[in-house]
Amino acid sequence: MWWLLRRIGVSLVLAWIVATIVFMTLHMVPGDPAEILLSTGGVAPDPAAVAELRERLGLEQPLMTQYGQFLLGLTRGDLGTSLVDEYPVLDEIALRLPRTLELIFAGTILAVIVAIPAGTWAALHRGGVFDRIASGTAAFLLAVPVFVVGTVLVLVFAQMLRIMPAGGYVPFAQNPGQHMTLLAMPAVAIAKGLAAVVFRMTRASVLDALSRDYVRTARAKGISPTRVLVRHVVRNALTPVLTVLGLHMGTLLGGTVLVEYVFNWPGMSTPLLRAVEARDYPMVVGIVLTISGLFLLINLIMDLLYAALDPRIRTA
Amino acid sequence: MKKLWLPGSIVGLIILVAILAPLLGLMDPVRQDIANRLAAPMDGSPLGRDEFGRDVFSRLIWGARTSLGVAFASALIAGVIGTAFGLIGGWFRGWGEIFTVRSMDIILCFPPVLLALLVVTLMGPGAGTLILVLSVLYLPGFARVTYAEVLSARSLDYVEAVRALGAPTWRILFRTVLPNVAGPVLVQLSLAVASAVVLESGLSFLGLGVVPPSPSWGLMIRGARATMEQAPMLLLWPCAALTLTILAMNLLCDGLRDAVDPRTPATRRRIRVVDRLLPGLLPAAAPQTEAVLDVRNLTVEIATPRGAIRPVQGVSLQVFAGETLAVVGESGSGKSVTATTVMGLMPPIAQAVEGQAWLGGRDLLRLTEPELRALRGGPMAMVFQDPMSSLNPVHTVGAQVVEAIQAHQKISYSDAWKQAEQLFKRVGIADPVKRLRVFPHEMSGGMRQRVMIAMAIANRPKLLICDEPTTALDVTVQAQILDLLNALKRETGMGMIFITHSLGVVSEIADRVAVMYAGQVVEQGSVAEVFGNPLHPYTRALLEAVPEGDEPPVGIPGIVPQPHAFPVGCRFAPRCRFATPACEAAPLPLEEIRAGREVRCIRWHELTPTEAAA
Repeated sequence: MWWLLRRIGVSLVLAWIVATIVFMTLHMVPGDPAEILLSTGGVAPDPAAVAELRERLGLEQPLMTQYGQFLLGLTRGDLGTSLVDEYPVLDEIALRLPRTLELIFAGTILAVIVAIPAGTWAALHRGGVFDRIASGTAAFLLAVPVFVVGTVLVLVFAQMLRIMPAGGYVPFAQNPGQHMTLLAMPAVAIAKGLAAVVFRMTRASVLDALSRDYVRTARAKGISPTRVLVRHVVRNALTPVLTVLGLHMGTLLGGTVLVEYVFNWPGMSTPLLRAVEARDYPMVVGIVLTISGLFLLINLIMDLLYAALDPRIRTA
Repeated sequence: MKKLWLPGSIVGLIILVAILAPLLGLMDPVRQDIANRLAAPMDGSPLGRDEFGRDVFSRLIWGARTSLGVAFASALIAGVIGTAFGLIGGWFRGWGEIFTVRSMDIILCFPPVLLALLVVTLMGPGAGTLILVLSVLYLPGFARVTYAEVLSARSLDYVEAVRALGAPTWRILFRTVLPNVAGPVLVQLSLAVASAVVLESGLSFLGLGVVPPSPSWGLMIRGARATMEQAPMLLLWPCAALTLTILAMNLLCDGLRDAVDPRTPATRRRIRVVDRLLPGLLPAAAPQTEAVLDVRNLTVEIATPRGAIRPVQGVSLQVFAGETLAVVGESGSGKSVTATTVMGLMPPIAQAVEGQAWLGGRDLLRLTEPELRALRGGPMAMVFQDPMSSLNPVHTVGAQVVEAIQAHQKISYSDAWKQAEQLFKRVGIADPVKRLRVFPHEMSGGMRQRVMIAMAIANRPKLLICDEPTTALDVTVQAQILDLLNALKRETGMGMIFITHSLGVVSEIADRVAVMYAGQVVEQGSVAEVFGNPLHPYTRALLEAVPEGDEPPVGIPGIVPQPHAFPVGCRFAPRCRFATPACEAAPLPLEEIRAGREVRCIRWHELTPTEAAA
């Protein structure tokens, strides 16, 4: 139990550090946000307008006061409003985050159900035809950037074969079939890199587990090969696979930005990219914080799962 | 090294082309020619023109220059600073460590693309921003790798010696630590470059990396998306270039990593069906034997990259009910291979090419795997050397014992659990109800070995093979385990094979003893006879090597020969002080001097005149 509390504590501290860094970099980098925001085409903005905006953004107050208000807002779940349309940042995130999560979830499920059996099979028949083909495919998938996969999927299935829509989004409640169809290609694009990584890790750790003494003990007991494989080989091999899965969540969260862009999926990335271009600071901070928080949360969940899978962690 | 060739030359070629781009006489990659918008391949433009009429081929090559320039610049900056951080953190520890290495963890809290977007927001897009972002992203990798290497180098004897001599810190760092770090840092560098190419193209694709009209693969893909219906090839060229580059770089990374970390996986020879079937084609009639286990003339062959070896050759052993046969010998004498082969637990590369092993009227060497499985853990069971690694760390010990029970008895889980409780009591584990629910790492070594024994005797085996069961344990615990095994044997009347290299253990537990050397049995007999009057010079040497009274123990010169270099004649001859040329001339037979007493030495008459007279 202590272990769990400590782990949650560490996550909270990291979240606070991330928030602080995001806040400080935005405010300490040279250049006045208000001025940047108002300048168009290299024309110096009207000083009165700048002053008014600074006032509205609270930039006239001392830095530490602003920082305090920022943190206070965070604890109340207040991320401020967009500079562009004054829409509350939190509402925007609440609308779009579930869509991004759905994409990540679908991609992860897809990757795991393909890669873990494939990796196990490849390890059990090391050097065989399947192993070679699958390992080659994994190396190739690792090398193709996610946006290339996405773009080529659109080119082939939407433009040339015309069997899939090029992209877009329909709420599930409105049209479940269309929703799933639209989800398919982005999910595949998200899954491709993760599947390659999980395949490699599964293959390596199953090979490792196969050579362990406890597998020999299990065989010496005379239990069935399936049981040896499931309870002693794959079960033990899953722990390192899970670690890798957690480590790659960062890449995955970044990958969704590209995939959402390619497939026109209205997740978190659209407002993020728009905010980056428009220098909409509260929106950028809000989204970056949310995704980083999500990243920390995923890592926390991974650690908990890790402890559930490996009893040695719990008492350590 | 072979693995480095192809990817290495592809990467080299790409780098070369990128460097030489200005000298190749290509068209200007940014010159627009709207008249030839989306033109098909033509003179001077082998791949056609893009949506602004710019030459695609030229843009591809200049794009490589942009991508690789950004990637190498950022990887090098990250490499230099990160390595320095790692050196400082690892060497000075304390606050230095917190500032240089631990602080890096914060960077890892941001998903990479996100951190890049944040910085782009602040600084605006462009190659300079990209280099800054990417080098920040790869800092932690370099810092960690170097830090880890420095920590391990610090504790090396020669580094401590140089420190003790008062050499200045910077000199130790540069002369002793940096060379150690070079390999892993090189691998990290190649990883960073490959990953930077991916990120650069991704950001450029989003329009947040390289600023148009500069050529960049990511930008080319972004541009071609708009016209992909009319000109799909425009999209495919940069995609292919990007994928090929990253693929070659990844393969190069893998190759480098293997070269730096030389744990090359062993190549396994696949077994031909003929080899599997061949021994089965020549079934032998079941012998009339009283023995629980009767191993006859067992020869095991293992396929290795250096050719087939025979770590066990012509071994015959018998174990009777209620008796303990000890098999002794140095490491590499073939004791464990014999036992593991009998149990059918050797990997498929090892094959019993000759001999039989009879258990209850069945030849174990000719049984199929399902038939063997029915016997393993049932009539024959095995206890292994290291109880920690032999128990699965993620299941409770109770679950593992129950698994053994249910493999051979059709009973419910709760009944099996009750049986396990009884077994735990039997092997001397106090408070079995509670102990069944703990994990192996929560027990002591002796307790774990008791669990292994409980598992082995769960289905009342006729034969129990113990492979050095006490080697990994404390001396006091050893004695308890030996007592337990002795008591179990008396109680159940099972036959026991006890593999050990400790003669003291043999005299405590065994009735008979077989001495093995280099894959052969060299002497066999009752413990009293063999220890009281050893016939083989090797047995004698083993006994002399045991410290006793005031006399200093005498070591045996030399080592056990490797299986691919066994001598032709007597295998012990090169280390034997009584060896004559005749000993080394031809293989020696195992001579039965009377029932149950055997020796493999042509000079035993001369060396032990009393025994010869008897």
